[in-house]
Amino acid sequence: MSVTLLWWALAGLAVAGAVAVLLVREMMRLMLGLGAFLLGVAGLYAWYGFGLLAVAELFVYVGGVLVLFLLAITAMGRDSESRAIARRFDFGAATVSVGLGVVLVLALRGMLPATSPLAGVTVEKTADALLGAWLPHFEIAGVVLLAGLAAALAIVGGGDEK
Amino acid sequence: MMTLVLSCAIVAAGLYGVLTRRDLVAVLASIEVMLGGASLLLVAYSVAGTAAAGGQAYVLLVLAVGAAEAAVGIGLLVALVRRGRTRIDEISEVRG
Repeated sequence: MSVTLLWWALAGLAVAGAVAVLLVREMMRLMLGLGAFLLGVAGLYAWYGFGLLAVAELFVYVGGVLVLFLLAITAMGRDSESRAIARRFDFGAATVSVGLGVVLVLALRGMLPATSPLAGVTVEKTADALLGAWLPHFEIAGVVLLAGLAAALAIVGGGDEK
Repeated sequence: MMTLVLSCAIVAAGLYGVLTRRDLVAVLASIEVMLGGASLLLVAYSVAGTAAAGGQAYVLLVLAVGAAEAAVGIGLLVALVRRGRTRIDEISEVRG
């Protein structure tokens, strides 16, 4: 069981969402594309046997970050404003992006096996890792989250000057 | 190998969005796409290696930092929209 039909469906959902984020001008449709991308990535996590990660992706990103994006857009009344922004194909940016992708594939291809076995990682093993060898990283991530929250509050509440 | 190609394609697509989009929301969404591609690659590598639980813990930490980054980014977005700026090329100065 290496690459199944389900894997292709989830990968297609993720790629379609990413392409929608690149191309769509209307904000609500862009958010729908981002939601499709996040759902595809969460499904791929689950396909690899990382159930906890899939649920965390759904809760944190689809249920948190995406909703925060939507709240910000609707609160600012910007759901149709960006239609006026003219866009065109940027050959230089496309070259840089495709070049980076090719370099990454060439640099990393020898480090992955040909087949991808399902991991089947249990929550207990992850908890042992987080509260064992990864405890300093876990604590630092908590501090980063708190600092991010404080920074967001300070930035948003910084005044209404024009 | 397919996951590697998929992850790198997603990262490249996100980079193209960051380089070409001018709307702040679209740039933030493109950064999230890049982060998702990189996290997917971390998952693939942890499956390939022997420390899958460590890989899952590591991606959980990346998710937390990504959420903090999105919160700060949206805070910046709201603050800039209050000042009448909605496009990335309108931001050319910092204060302090």
